[in-house]
Amino acid sequence: MKKNTINVKELEEKASEDTEGISSMERRKFLGFGLTITGLFLGGSVLSLTSSNPSFAGIRGGKALVADYPYSPHYTMVIVQNHCIGCERCLDACRTTNHVPDGGYRTDILERSVPVSPDENERVFMPILCNHCNEAACVRVCPTKATYKDKKTGIVRMSIERCIGCKTCMTACPYNARYFDEAKRAIDKCNFCVDTKLKESGGKITACAAACPANVRMFGDLTDPETEAYKLIHAPGKALWVLRPEKNTMPNVFYTNASLSSAH
Amino acid sequence: MITYIATDSNKSMFGNLIPFLIGFALLAAGGLSFALHAMYVGHHYTFGTTREVPWGLLVTPYFFFACMATGLCIISSLGQVFQIEAFKSLVPRTVFLAVVTMATGLMCIMLELENPWRVGLYSMLSPAPSSNIWWKTTIYSFFLMFMVFNFLSLVLHKEKQARIFATIALVMVLMGILNMNSDMSLLGTRGFWSENYMPIYFVTVSTLTGCATLLFFGWLSKINGGQQESEERRVTNKAVSRLFMILLFGLLYFSGVKVLGGFFPQATQNPEAMFLLVKGNLSLNFWVAEVGLAVLFPLVIILGMKGKNEVWQAIAGLSCLVGCFVLYYHLVIAGQLIPHYYQYHVVGLPEYYPYSPSLHEIMVSVGSVFFFLAAFVAGEMIFKKISFK
Repeated sequence: MKKNTINVKELEEKASEDTEGISSMERRKFLGFGLTITGLFLGGSVLSLTSSNPSFAGIRGGKALVADYPYSPHYTMVIVQNHCIGCERCLDACRTTNHVPDGGYRTDILERSVPVSPDENERVFMPILCNHCNEAACVRVCPTKATYKDKKTGIVRMSIERCIGCKTCMTACPYNARYFDEAKRAIDKCNFCVDTKLKESGGKITACAAACPANVRMFGDLTDPETEAYKLIHAPGKALWVLRPEKNTMPNVFYTNASLSSAH
Repeated sequence: MITYIATDSNKSMFGNLIPFLIGFALLAAGGLSFALHAMYVGHHYTFGTTREVPWGLLVTPYFFFACMATGLCIISSLGQVFQIEAFKSLVPRTVFLAVVTMATGLMCIMLELENPWRVGLYSMLSPAPSSNIWWKTTIYSFFLMFMVFNFLSLVLHKEKQARIFATIALVMVLMGILNMNSDMSLLGTRGFWSENYMPIYFVTVSTLTGCATLLFFGWLSKINGGQQESEERRVTNKAVSRLFMILLFGLLYFSGVKVLGGFFPQATQNPEAMFLLVKGNLSLNFWVAEVGLAVLFPLVIILGMKGKNEVWQAIAGLSCLVGCFVLYYHLVIAGQLIPHYYQYHVVGLPEYYPYSPSLHEIMVSVGSVFFFLAAFVAGEMIFKKISFK
């Protein structure tokens, strides 16, 4: 007979449902609703030529995007966060492959100290890169379309000859994914190695993903069920999250944790 | 019929204006040469801006002068478009100042760009209607053109034509200022001022800076002998002073809203930035400049003098302008100082990103102010030569 016990590992993987999990955007929407009712709402979206709200479509990362992929191939990356050991081979591979100058970076690894109990913190490595958002703030603010969504793949790319160097995209990006390359006199950013490693590999893998010894960065196509990224995103019961979901940018980079058994 | 401001050849307190013009022009050129140097070697080596804080001090004079031009246009339209008698005599000088301030603002933003030479080409070849920046720059460029036409029409005494240009410019500048809000709120991805009241706030502050400009530079013009003492001038001055007072109360209200947001996070859409502004590292600037210099000090003067002392009104105007410059600086900077991943317990992430303007940024900003002053002096010389009705 099966014992009625609590599976701690399973619980750890689930998203918190306490009130702290309510995003500031949700609180703001509630406040905005109140202001609308009282007739005080005078938002930029009412008076401006273009709306001040990038998107209020809600967070549609992960499962909610199934069967609604606007690109083909729809490139994505799943970061298996607890696999990352912070070796930085991905960073080196990115620099070498894409000729990233000193002082700049397309991807980085942040070290987090996550509180797990009142007296205990857990160290976690969190790789970051351009999220190639479906509702990319950088694309929307660019006055010359120097940064754009690739119509086929959804990759956020740069047309460097059009870049006027206003740095509005850098200011708008909530993920600190862009920098100004003085040599190119244009913004540089992760493009999923579309003109380098991805091209060489026939659209299969990026330099950072190829260099990772721990299978942290799972690159794939959201429309191809054969890719590992697709399988991770569509695995039943798998907890996935995106960074800064309150910004409603609909990222294409997802984060997950592998269960300890599969990690071994 | 529009009655234009009277000019005469009264004795100027400053005497010959040419040395002032040359001096200001040289200072402007000196300051702006720093911009050319920065453009040549790259902003990375000359500006205090970083990957994390990409917009620095130089965006401030752009906002400041563009908003000032907006305010001046609104005030001139009271006399020119809406035919309010008390504001009619202000029209030529206000239109001229609006042209000069917008030109200064656009010059500032061009100097802030890494590749300004690409702007004209790609804003036409590759326009981005989804971009508020594109709309705003385009609108402001057309505004400048229509205001130049407006001024030339005034010089040629073609009042009807001038009024048409003024109406178009007013509509354009209002669209521009409302997009200024969207510029900033789009950047709400970084905790900028995406507050619901911002469109009204921008119109208020713009018109306020317009009034402050008229009070200060109108007084300078008077002591320079460019404006004759008359009953009409007294009425106009009183009207501007009253409008200034009302708008000061408006800004006082908005400052109160900011303070509320700083103390009660649930009252704002940008709690981190508001905290930084009201109680954090920027609080000294906020309380001294945004509250003290921009609102309280001018308000006390205006209420105390009741529009009777022009010197004190000019001081109130100057104080308000300085305070509003700091206000715009905060508007640009505060939201950017909040780290991107502040809620992720990142090891080694600073509480706030550091930023301080570099010598180049300061010199270019100072240069732009002197550019405006040189243009103002040139305007005074023009107004002495050209006889308006």
